Amino acid sequence: MRYHCRMTRATKDNRKSLRKQLHQVLPKTCILETPEQTIPYESDGLTAYQQKPWMVVLPESIEQVQTIIRLCHKEGVPVVARGAGTGLSGGALPLANGLLLSLAKFNRILDINPANRSATVEPGVRNLAISEAVEKFNLYYAPDPSSQIACTIGGNVAENAGGVHCLKYGLTVHNILQLKIITIDGELITIGSQALDTPGYDLLALMTGSEGMLGIIVEVIVKLLPRPEQAQVILAAFDDVVKAGEAVGAIIAEGIIPAGLEMMDNPAICAAEDYAHAGYPVDAEAILLCELDGTNEEVTEQIQFVENLLTQKGATSLRTSQNTAERLKLWLGRKSAFPAVGRISPDYYCMDGTIPRHQLPFILQKISDLSKEYNLLVANVFHAGDGNLHPLILYDANIEGELERTEEFGGKILELCVKAGGTITGEHGVGKEKIDQMCVQFKSLELQIFHDIKHSFDPQELLNPGKAVPTLHRCAELGGMHVHDGLLPHPELERF
Amino acid sequence: METMNRTRELQDHVRAAFNDKTALKIVGGNTKHFYGNKSNAKKTNVIETRIHQGIISYEPSELVITARAGTPLKEIEALLAENNQMLPFDPPHFGEHATLGGAIATGLSGSRRPFTGSARDFVLGSKIISGKGDVMSFGGQVMKNVAGYDVSRLMVGALGTLGLLLEISIKVLPKPNTEATQVIAMSQQDALITMHKLNQTSLPLSALTYENEKLYVRLSGALSAVTSAQKKVGGETLLHAEKLWQEINEQTFSFFTESNNKPLWRLSVPYIANIDLNENSLIDWAGALYWIHSDKKAEEIQQHAIEQGGSAMLFRTHQVKAEKNAQDCFMPLPAKIKQLHVNLKMRFDPRGILNYGRLYSDL
Amino acid sequence: MQTKIKHDFLQSEKGQLADKILRSCVHCGFCTATCPTYQILGDELDGPRGRIYLIKQMLEGHTVTKETLNHLDRCLTCRACETTCPSGVEYGHLLEIGRSEVEKRVKRSLLQKVLRKTLLLILPFPKRFAVLLQTGQLFRPVLPGILKKQIPAKTRLTKLSLKNHKTKMLILDGCAQPALAPEINHATRKVLDALDIELVSFSGCCGAINQHLSDEEKALVIIKNNIDRLIAEFDNDIEGIVMTASGCGAMFKEYPHLLRNDEHYKNKAEIIANKTFDLTEIINTEKLKNKLNVNKNLNIAVHTPCTLQHAQKLPLNIENILSSCGYQLSTIKDKHLCCGSAGTYSITQPELSAQLREQRLSGLMVGQPDMIATANIGCLHHMNAGSTVPVRHWVEIVAENLKP
Repeated sequence: MRYHCRMTRATKDNRKSLRKQLHQVLPKTCILETPEQTIPYESDGLTAYQQKPWMVVLPESIEQVQTIIRLCHKEGVPVVARGAGTGLSGGALPLANGLLLSLAKFNRILDINPANRSATVEPGVRNLAISEAVEKFNLYYAPDPSSQIACTIGGNVAENAGGVHCLKYGLTVHNILQLKIITIDGELITIGSQALDTPGYDLLALMTGSEGMLGIIVEVIVKLLPRPEQAQVILAAFDDVVKAGEAVGAIIAEGIIPAGLEMMDNPAICAAEDYAHAGYPVDAEAILLCELDGTNEEVTEQIQFVENLLTQKGATSLRTSQNTAERLKLWLGRKSAFPAVGRISPDYYCMDGTIPRHQLPFILQKISDLSKEYNLLVANVFHAGDGNLHPLILYDANIEGELERTEEFGGKILELCVKAGGTITGEHGVGKEKIDQMCVQFKSLELQIFHDIKHSFDPQELLNPGKAVPTLHRCAELGGMHVHDGLLPHPELERF
Repeated sequence: METMNRTRELQDHVRAAFNDKTALKIVGGNTKHFYGNKSNAKKTNVIETRIHQGIISYEPSELVITARAGTPLKEIEALLAENNQMLPFDPPHFGEHATLGGAIATGLSGSRRPFTGSARDFVLGSKIISGKGDVMSFGGQVMKNVAGYDVSRLMVGALGTLGLLLEISIKVLPKPNTEATQVIAMSQQDALITMHKLNQTSLPLSALTYENEKLYVRLSGALSAVTSAQKKVGGETLLHAEKLWQEINEQTFSFFTESNNKPLWRLSVPYIANIDLNENSLIDWAGALYWIHSDKKAEEIQQHAIEQGGSAMLFRTHQVKAEKNAQDCFMPLPAKIKQLHVNLKMRFDPRGILNYGRLYSDL
Repeated sequence: MQTKIKHDFLQSEKGQLADKILRSCVHCGFCTATCPTYQILGDELDGPRGRIYLIKQMLEGHTVTKETLNHLDRCLTCRACETTCPSGVEYGHLLEIGRSEVEKRVKRSLLQKVLRKTLLLILPFPKRFAVLLQTGQLFRPVLPGILKKQIPAKTRLTKLSLKNHKTKMLILDGCAQPALAPEINHATRKVLDALDIELVSFSGCCGAINQHLSDEEKALVIIKNNIDRLIAEFDNDIEGIVMTASGCGAMFKEYPHLLRNDEHYKNKAEIIANKTFDLTEIINTEKLKNKLNVNKNLNIAVHTPCTLQHAQKLPLNIENILSSCGYQLSTIKDKHLCCGSAGTYSITQPELSAQLREQRLSGLMVGQPDMIATANIGCLHHMNAGSTVPVRHWVEIVAENLKP
């Protein structure tokens, strides 16, 4: 699907002038502009959308980024920032008339301060690289999105990335202390501090998850946690997905907060096992992975308790990791589950809705019904502990019309999540992908205030325009197509 | 219906104020009236949120509670306790009638904060009335939600200057099975070193607090974990520790009451800060929070906090109120950051009617 | 991933294969994390996902220039990306197609042509290489330091008195190794003799150099010649062929893929691949342990060559042998990384290759080892030129500790 943005006010002359100036300030190897060089940047981790950027720049210093942003500001040319390009919502989808600013060269860990339990890193540092670097101090960085091997911390902040351990340890927003941001006028500002709180509004929270719309992140100070003394994971197999879902609720109702609580259905189990050889039971309808961590005594006590509970709730088999290697192997399958689905289908479309946990059986049933209706298979991977669903719709982009059907199916799932009291995105962000569903989740007043927030930082809409927040007109147009409960949304708006 | 009417009543009140540009002072239980600046508007109307109370939904197994802003904290905490759960950030009440709205608007968190998180960390969603009188909802009742900007967390600590809080959804946690507090007698220097060391371990800590030659180490979790940690930490086990933590949190502890009429400063600093103002202090948050009674000039205290990578604010003062208004209680912001604050205020509250001046004299 | 490969190319077997591989890629980007060149250069085009895209563009009929050629040239073919890829993308095979197609579309500079031709004229021929090296060794005492490091001093080997054993295997002499480091196969003979295996010399080149420099035609000639000679040898009670250079081993194991369309050689190639063993695969550690007086003070860092860990998928073999025998292993960082040797890469991409070497060596040195052990002549020679501690083939270390 080609994506067009109508927003920019920059003319051809502006771009010509910008190009000339960029060549003066950047080395030749840091500028990519022929289609041969720029097409490989046309998608991030979501290939359903492609857009060749006008130009790609690969700056190496904060000063260079400042200069680039000042020039873009002056010429009115929009900018999209990009880290590793692993995002799943098209948040780093380029613009035909805009600059793609890659921060991949900012990959140094600047400082590790074990006593303050913090590390200062550049935005292009990979999530996992942080934990690896601080391992010698027996510390780690908690949020662990499945793409943690490759995704960068800058992107994690922009999307407020979660992961399999955020039920207990929180999202990115809970695990960062300070950001250095370049605002659209090229100013370098510091948000947050090394202290636990900072005077004024919580701009750190506002910036986290703002999808590159408010500023360019050039430095991050992350919080580090002590590695728990002990961590073990239980693999429980079920012959029924709903039973597995109920077991999740039962664990939490008992007052236990597992470090991770994940669920996969049969197609996902098979694909992941094929890659990871983690010993997943490929004949199970669903598996739960439940990690418990803490002190030795605590974990031993809780493991036994949860094992009994899972058996009571109908688990057909249980396996508990006996060492770190086994535990990591069990997680490897889960963390590779998305791309591993590439083994059973040429393309997949990953959804990210979140629901109150007790709605799980309802949503599962609905997804299964829709799967039949659209004749598209679904592999389900869930962060079950926090109700975050990742149904993967399997399709083949080479078959005409299949992507469109997939998108429609996905949209339906998200609308169901909103209906069930949840949200359209738990951790992947709205990006380009879920922009229409934003109209379902929010009323025009809220959308207007989102635009107002954007304008407080970026009045000309030059930073990643067209993402995350739909224009009210777009929602009005869509509203004309989707009439909910007999009511036309946004009756106050003119229709086109 | 009742609630609809209450919401409408508050909304009408804000709309009217918007129309005739009257400043509004938002009051819940009025327990934290001392916190922040005093309004400097000529004419101020009081808008009471206590009329808007009640728990809207609570499903223990979902770990979420949603309540109206005027709901007494007491009521919420009692209901949670019945289900063996708690508000994980220990909000201070500072009085009988403290409300949820006040806890969130001030964003204050107790001694548990470095280990479980702060008020803002647990806010999942909110419903607010903007300065234009618009009712809006953000976030939701699920743990993970990245749709739209995080306006709910922006409200935390904003002292009502961006919106009047109507409803708030909060993530709650199970109460720890066991809690125990160890007291170790030691100097401040040794206590700081011990706190840093403990803070880098995976022991089940829930408070590291130092005052008057004593380090208090609270441990929370499974019985077996707490018992083994007690041995590792050492010191004496404090009896009736709950009372101590209650007093520290509510500032009824002797340190707070014996102030010699000096103003109380709150310094939020990195764990490893070296705060030396030559004044009596209570150190909380494993070294990241200092409570200090001091007559020293604001500039001096703030400068010291900045040098140590943190900030200082004037928390309570016994001076005549007029004098307190001479300057902001909170530390001045860098120019560009201040500009962003003003821009946001303009968008949420274009006529500057909501708690104008409470956070900063020009917000 | 969606593909729109040009119709005529899609009709070919190569086109079909390329399409199948491209479509198995889901563009997740995990591969960039373990790609040595992406980690240094930070450009999508210098990582596997970008290169896959460049190849896709070319096969879809977009304009191709030196840009694509350069970025494909910069790939080390270390295949660390394949180890990381959850979708099972056969990157190495796609790159092979991409390289041969780009050669057809883009002209190389004269300098590059001469360099590549020269390499092809010397490296695969043991005698020519030996003569050149001997000339270098003759002048070594008067050469400047930088060149001196590249040319190892001549080694004198003690004469071995080996027994005859029932179990017989071939050992590949290889092309550069007999001249550069004859001590490796010498040590192998000693160690395998202790394990009751007799080795018979098999001369020749595996064909990898031609293959990597996109001289496929000549590569196939070499390969078929090897196969014919090997099949004849295997008739005489030979159990298989042992590789002391993991690069050659990986190449032998690729023969079935390279000859997949050759009806005459397909099955034979399969037989050869099944009888090809890296030295680590045939070591009986239980038996070996008892024959050694292990020097326990030696702290050894293991560099597993990419051709062993990523291509042959034997990532832990060296460590397992050494630690089971009682050697002390040093901690290392980023085990998956390539040292920058990568066949002729150190010659065709000297700058990047040196950067990669520095990075690799710093990862190997974190535990302050006394020595680095590896399993491929290329890595050994390349790292030795930049290392402060000796880099040796692991079998040499073991051979020295054999009980008399």
